Amino acid sequence: MQNDQIHILLADDDDDDCSLFKDAFEEIKIKTMVEVVNDGVELMDYLDRKDIILPHVLFLDLNMPRKNGLDCLKEIKGMDHLKNMAVVIYSTSASEEDIEETFVKGANVYIKKPSDFGALKKILKEVITINWQYHTSGLNRDNFLLSF
Amino acid sequence: MKLYFKYDIHAACKKIVEEQLNAMKLEYALIGFGEVELQEDISQDLLHQLNTGLKNYGIEIVENSKRILVQKIKDTIVEMVYLEEKLPTTKISAYLAEKLNHSYGYIANLFSDVTYTSIENFIILQKIERAKQLITTSELNFSEIAWRLNYSSVAHFSTQFKNATGITPTAFQRIINKRRNAAGDE
Amino acid sequence: MNIKTIFTSSFFLRSIFATSLFILLFITGITFKHMIALADSAELLVHSYKVHIELDQLNAVIRDAESGQRGYIITKDSSFLLPYTNGPDKINESFSKLTSLIVANTQQQLHLDSLRNLVVMRFQYLAKTLEKDASKESDKYAVLNGMREGRDIMNLIRIQINKMVKIEITSVNALNKKYKNEISFTPLFTLLILLFSLLVFIFSYIKISKDYEILKRSNDKLLISTESITHAEEIGNFSSWQWDMESNKFIYSDNQYRLLGCEPQSFEAGIEGFLEYVHPMDKHIITEGREQVMNENKYPAAFFRIIRKDGELRYFKSLSKLLTDAQGKKILIGINSDVTEEHLINISLEERNRELEQSNKELASFNHVASHDLQEPLRKIQTFISRISENEISTISKKGMEYFIRIQSAAERMRILIDDLLLFSRTNKAEKIFEKTDLNNLLENAKQELVQVIEDKKAIIQSDVLPILAVISFQIQQLFINLIGNSLKYNKPGIAPFIKIECERINDKERSMFKTDMNRQYYKITFTDNGLGFEQGYAESIFILFNRLHQTNVYPGTGIGLAICKKIVENHAGHIRAEGNPGVGAVFTVFLPA
Repeated sequence: MQNDQIHILLADDDDDDCSLFKDAFEEIKIKTMVEVVNDGVELMDYLDRKDIILPHVLFLDLNMPRKNGLDCLKEIKGMDHLKNMAVVIYSTSASEEDIEETFVKGANVYIKKPSDFGALKKILKEVITINWQYHTSGLNRDNFLLSF
Repeated sequence: MKLYFKYDIHAACKKIVEEQLNAMKLEYALIGFGEVELQEDISQDLLHQLNTGLKNYGIEIVENSKRILVQKIKDTIVEMVYLEEKLPTTKISAYLAEKLNHSYGYIANLFSDVTYTSIENFIILQKIERAKQLITTSELNFSEIAWRLNYSSVAHFSTQFKNATGITPTAFQRIINKRRNAAGDE
Repeated sequence: MNIKTIFTSSFFLRSIFATSLFILLFITGITFKHMIALADSAELLVHSYKVHIELDQLNAVIRDAESGQRGYIITKDSSFLLPYTNGPDKINESFSKLTSLIVANTQQQLHLDSLRNLVVMRFQYLAKTLEKDASKESDKYAVLNGMREGRDIMNLIRIQINKMVKIEITSVNALNKKYKNEISFTPLFTLLILLFSLLVFIFSYIKISKDYEILKRSNDKLLISTESITHAEEIGNFSSWQWDMESNKFIYSDNQYRLLGCEPQSFEAGIEGFLEYVHPMDKHIITEGREQVMNENKYPAAFFRIIRKDGELRYFKSLSKLLTDAQGKKILIGINSDVTEEHLINISLEERNRELEQSNKELASFNHVASHDLQEPLRKIQTFISRISENEISTISKKGMEYFIRIQSAAERMRILIDDLLLFSRTNKAEKIFEKTDLNNLLENAKQELVQVIEDKKAIIQSDVLPILAVISFQIQQLFINLIGNSLKYNKPGIAPFIKIECERINDKERSMFKTDMNRQYYKITFTDNGLGFEQGYAESIFILFNRLHQTNVYPGTGIGLAICKKIVENHAGHIRAEGNPGVGAVFTVFLPA
């Protein structure tokens, strides 16, 4: 489908989750490059850098030290150059109302961290695939909403 | 003040391609969607220049023949889904086979080989996207949208919507509205 | 003005009284007049008869004189001449009586004069006849002539007298007739007016006695009011005061002094005296309040502390209002209440509130621990176990795999329990918005959530049209999910679940089942299924947290679902109850206010 690499950025402070995440992508048959940052401030600094290729998809944990995911989300949505970056909230479960709130604030996808590795792989694959469709088929990115 | 847009992507892309070709003073004839017949063959450099110009608009010249066909399949599906009134009532497999002049089996295999996703999934994705467009830009209610997209009932439509996106059409509408209101407040 | 007010106005009463008085005087006048008329009439009658009698007497005297004269002439007995001799005197007497009697009647006077002349003439003739008789010269004819002449005159006299008598009688009759007419009319007239006056008097009496009653009652009420006002201040622990703003004079009620712990009116009423008892730190409140009243025309309520004469600290509340009396004088009236008890209760309530808030904060942080810090490690356990069982399947023994499966199942149960607990603790009312929602949409969403189970079990859900109510949408949706989910879960094995959802308004009998607001309408939504049902004895306990009726290995569950339902319904000031029939099914009834 695509010969280009998909650039993925994960912002999560939990080492276990980061390692599971990277393992999952290694086992998915899609060419990806995964970068990891560990807190909100590190994230915003990374996104500000001029020397990197901007990620296609950002996986964002809500509970991070120094600056939490929600604040980062608000900032990101205000930045023009990150308009085409899909924002995936990757967090522990929240109430339906809270999930809806993150969508309203601009998130494209909400993933409740699953407790099964197989499920995690499936979800991540689907996210990337669908996101690529939005990237290549001229679909309206504003309507890109997924909930797992 | 707020403005809402409806995009006719086909017309827009067609216009862009025309403008680019005119700017480069190339003789051409537009054949169908996504297809242009140039009067003369052009050099690789010119091709590259044309491709670069079009890339700004998210338009790419497809070179691989298989890719060309897959692109055609996609375009046909998109065209079918975004038909003004209603999806054709004939089975999609028959519709595609007829439109593209290949057997449906061949089309389906080719599609999944190239894109790694099944053609059914793609069709569902397109239908759901169309539904989202109708929800956000038209005044139609869910029954009307379900009818247009050939779903046997609103319940069937809601189920597929939820399966595809993880949220119900109602929730989707609510979220989009809240986003618009929030943007309006700023 | 309607009839009633006309009748009750005092002006009307006065005019009635005046009219009655006038009528009375009028009657009296008429009666008096008629009495006099009667008297006059009687007198007139007497008068006439007197004249008549007198005339008759005159006649008699003359005849006596005449017969005396005749007798003498016949017998020559001088004793016969007595009447003749006495006659003129009597006649003169009579005439003088008559003259005075008929003094009013000129006609009679003329007649009397004529009569007098005739009588004189008669006596002259009598005398003449006697003379003639006595003289020897006279002859029989002379005496006879004389007697004949005398007789003629006598006739004339008689005629004259008769005439006069007749006149008297006629005039008497005429007068009598006239008076009779008047008098006959009078009694009737008097009677009518008497009746009317009687009526007016009776009416007045009734009115007056009624008014008197009303007045008496008003008086009694007033007395009680005054008494109670005097006592009200003592009973209600407040006092009243007045401030004449122009003359700067204060009037304090007795209780004002008592509230301060002093004897009534023990010091001069005024701000200075009052301030003596105000807590030093609150004195400014009084003076500032006074400023506001005088300069800004504002009359805010004031709260301040008082130190009573006996040293006790009390909390006071002062309210005032400006009155302008009929002369345009500005008087500020107000009350001071001793609100110490309420204030202390308030303080203790605030204290309890703070404690509750504190406890809530602790619970909220427990929530956070449960949600994040408990879930995280559990999730990791599950994930890594799934990793191992996937990847290391070749290296682990069969028994090992079996153990892993059990671990996974236990961990999954724990995860569900934590999720449900979280849901339960999140089902509160604070900071939740109640908005008008179409319950039918929430029902649809709930069915969406359960679509997989519904399809798997081939369940049929039939529902009435539900109303639009002001609710917390997510919670009511959860309520529907839990109730329908239960009906689906506890279906009779092999029999497709049939769930009927009905809606109607509450009836009065049902209102008594729980605390309802009589001014509000309630909707009753029933969920009836054809599942396993339960013993009615458990109808209340199934709503208790963690209570279950089945073993977990047979029917998985945490026992929290229905407790959440109960909490949701209570958040909406409603009610939920359950009825079960083992082997037949269950009915869950939800009452929600409109």
